Amino acid sequence: MNVVDRPLIQFGLAVAVALALPFCLSSGILASEVLIFAIVVAACNLLLGYTGLLSFGQGIFFGLGTYFAGVGLTRYGLAVPVVLVGATVIGAVVAAAVGWLSIRRQGVYFVMLTLAFSQLFYFLAYTFSDLTGGDNGILDVPRPNIGGVLNDPWAYYIFVAVCFVVVFGLLLVVTQSTFGRTLLAIRENEPRAAAIGFPTKVFKTQAFAISGAVTAFGGALHAMLIGVAPLSNIEYHTSEQILIMTIIGGTSSLFGSVLGAGFFLLMADALSTIWPRWLLLLGLALIVVALFMQRGLWGLVEKASAALTSRKAADKDAREGGHV
Amino acid sequence: MIYLFQILNGVGLGMLYFLLAVGLSVIFGLLQFVNFAHGAFYLLGAYLTYDLVSRGFDFWLAMPIATLIVAGLAALVEVLLLRRIYNLPHSFHILVTVGLALVVQEVTIILWGPLGGSVPAPDGLQGVVILGNFVYPEYRLFTIAFTAVLAGLLWWLLEGTRLGAIVRAGSESHSNMALLGYDTLRINTAVFGFGAGLAGLAGALAAPIRGVEPFMGAEALAIAFVVVVIGGMGSYTGALVAGILVGVIQSLMTTLWPEGARLMIYVAMALVIALRPRGLLGRA
Repeated sequence: MNVVDRPLIQFGLAVAVALALPFCLSSGILASEVLIFAIVVAACNLLLGYTGLLSFGQGIFFGLGTYFAGVGLTRYGLAVPVVLVGATVIGAVVAAAVGWLSIRRQGVYFVMLTLAFSQLFYFLAYTFSDLTGGDNGILDVPRPNIGGVLNDPWAYYIFVAVCFVVVFGLLLVVTQSTFGRTLLAIRENEPRAAAIGFPTKVFKTQAFAISGAVTAFGGALHAMLIGVAPLSNIEYHTSEQILIMTIIGGTSSLFGSVLGAGFFLLMADALSTIWPRWLLLLGLALIVVALFMQRGLWGLVEKASAALTSRKAADKDAREGGHV
Repeated sequence: MIYLFQILNGVGLGMLYFLLAVGLSVIFGLLQFVNFAHGAFYLLGAYLTYDLVSRGFDFWLAMPIATLIVAGLAALVEVLLLRRIYNLPHSFHILVTVGLALVVQEVTIILWGPLGGSVPAPDGLQGVVILGNFVYPEYRLFTIAFTAVLAGLLWWLLEGTRLGAIVRAGSESHSNMALLGYDTLRINTAVFGFGAGLAGLAGALAAPIRGVEPFMGAEALAIAFVVVVIGGMGSYTGALVAGILVGVIQSLMTTLWPEGARLMIYVAMALVIALRPRGLLGRA
């Protein structure tokens, strides 16, 4: 394993990002958004990078979390922890169902199914506008009152940062566990994993449930951040963007997802003010990544680190050689 | 009467869905390549028709020209871009074609604006057919008849001709085809252009019925996926049956429950997947 892929280094990098963002960005909203999507993208990476499942349905769970927070906070006045736990549970249950139905087909069929399910949930949200507010979404979702400073973006950022570090740590634990190793085995060779006796469908469904739970949790945080539960959060484009961030960041390590989310959102923020048609550039960037940077941004970090360590090793060899 | 009207509408819509799905299916069958830009070719077909008609071209000229331009562009994309990535995993195929779809969508907005527009029904088909107390637009009847003939031709092309045999053999084994001396690279380009051209044609035919708008590609892509999932990948008859089924469900629901019309397509898909994971007519 490359040095930078060690779980402790990954965790350290995540903490460093959470601490550094306030010094790099002027907007607390943008900083919070980066960390929320970093969680969501890492959950997508658990499926794509660790299980080999390319899901176009992550927006379903993101949107569900958003709506659960919106409805729970505005109509029923639920407490914030209840909302977060509730969103997570709903995300897990729906993801288990969608995952179980989708993994009945493999490869490309699986991808098509997840995309079709994401359309299904979009039209559900669109159709039952009494509950979801339809096109308008659910307005006036309150932020939690942290330390008596209601609505201050940076106060909310601290809350999000703590959530991010905890969830990222938990996801690292999952990927390092026997469960995570089994997912890798399934990714590498599913028939063989099944032959050894692993119930691969159960494992894949569980991976889906975990991923959905974390994504819905992120969705709930997002609704509180922007104060709205919008229809666009459950749209096909959200699924697409989560997937794009995951692949741009790189799927070989969990921290790649943080890079992917950060890169995507900061570029989107910068470019969209300059040129409303910036998605054209994103489209071109995707093609370039697929052609020339197949391990994503994290692949570049891995390459750099490998080059550094091998130079160090070479230096060490040279010095020791000098002593002899 | 309203039901007959909606069923006819649904069949017409369904035939367009069939054209979309069969193109996707042929491309996947031969190239093992999932084309997320398929909706973008539909979008282009519709917009090129819109553009040509608004420049004063006759629809009967605009439709084939638009289709050919889409097929040509797709073939060019295959040569310049896609052929470099066939050997990569599916996720990179998806990444490239999603990127392509974004580029097409944004270029469409740059060229024709974000608002969309409408295409008048072509000369000679602007009227309605009246049978007793049943009234139906001529153009919609034409699309049903035209796509039905086209579907027959396609079936003959894929199942009855040497060309179809080559395509089917290629989807069994590319390397054997190459060994037999066929230029598989050229076959790939032709099939990709052909499949994308079918999507473009569906867009051109749909333009006078549904108008054009820059985001119609994403929805068309999702529908094409649903049709393939319900019908069973690689099954020509499956695509036809599922296309018409989806079209009719959507049309009938527009009368019964307008808000839920499009929702029901996906509910139907979920039901089919729960009961028959391989699709209605999919091979095991």
